[in-house]
Amino acid sequence: MHDWKQIVRKCLRVLGVCSPEFTEELAGHLEDNYEASLRGGMPPEAAFHRTVAQIDRRSQICLTVWIVQEVLMTDFARKVGLPGLLTFALAMAAAIAIDMAHIHPSFLLGNRFSASLPVAWLCLLPFCGAAGTLVSHWTGSSRLQRIAACLFPSVIMAAVVLIISVTGFAISRFVPDSGWYWALAVPGLALQLTAQAMVTAVPLLLGAVAGEQMSRTR
Amino acid sequence: LASVNAQIKRGSAELAVLTLLAEHPLHGYEIAKQIEAQTGGVLRFDMASLYPMLHRLERKSWVKAEWQTLPNGRRRRCYRLTASGRKQIAPLRAQWRAFFQALQSVTGFRNA
Repeated sequence: MHDWKQIVRKCLRVLGVCSPEFTEELAGHLEDNYEASLRGGMPPEAAFHRTVAQIDRRSQICLTVWIVQEVLMTDFARKVGLPGLLTFALAMAAAIAIDMAHIHPSFLLGNRFSASLPVAWLCLLPFCGAAGTLVSHWTGSSRLQRIAACLFPSVIMAAVVLIISVTGFAISRFVPDSGWYWALAVPGLALQLTAQAMVTAVPLLLGAVAGEQMSRTR
Repeated sequence: LASVNAQIKRGSAELAVLTLLAEHPLHGYEIAKQIEAQTGGVLRFDMASLYPMLHRLERKSWVKAEWQTLPNGRRRRCYRLTASGRKQIAPLRAQWRAFFQALQSVTGFRNA
């Protein structure tokens, strides 16, 4: 008697990290195939080699890629997470490229605020949003998931500002004379958080609309 | 068939499996063997193409899989067609008919 589960596990090591039921299903397939070969009059050794040959190098690669794609990655990771990270990476790459090219068309929001709008970067964000939307669309996502994917950079940036805020508040609370003052910091950071999310969300959403149109026409 | 692109292969395989499962539930090996037998060996599934496709159909809720214990005591994952999957057969057949008609109009090719 051959231990087909063991054979499958040996051929596809990636199975060790996914559901044992999948191993059992593939092992069952091989077992049925082996027994059909025996019933067909094939000698046991030849039947065994013929059966094991079904998990050849090409099949191993195909199944491994599929398992990684389908089993290890959840629907959220595939449809929102990865396209979202791609959008974020593109947005960051655009920011770095603009910085390296010394292109800084930005304007101050006013004398009372030290913040300025990075106009050049904001102009590139729609392209990042459109790319994220298209990639998410290719994975068969819903419209809501595509919007979530394209807004990923805004969410990450807002989260970063939030973390800095919370850390700053904690420092100002427990470290005397740290330079952080609750009364001044709270409205400023709240404004920054909202502005950061909104200012980046608008061009990204514009890109998402363009991405939606492109995916419809393809 | 080797030159037929992946999209067409995938679409034809899905239609073949859905049509087969419309008759009765089957497990993976039976699906592969029955399709091979019914097409005279023209359509053949290896493990690397069959199971990803079955799981894809399951994710789309076109088929539902459940473990069954066979009379010999072995467990097999049987796939049966869902109501949603049954609804897909007619549109898929229509698409394939349109595809073959289009091909016929260009090449004079006739499908059986």
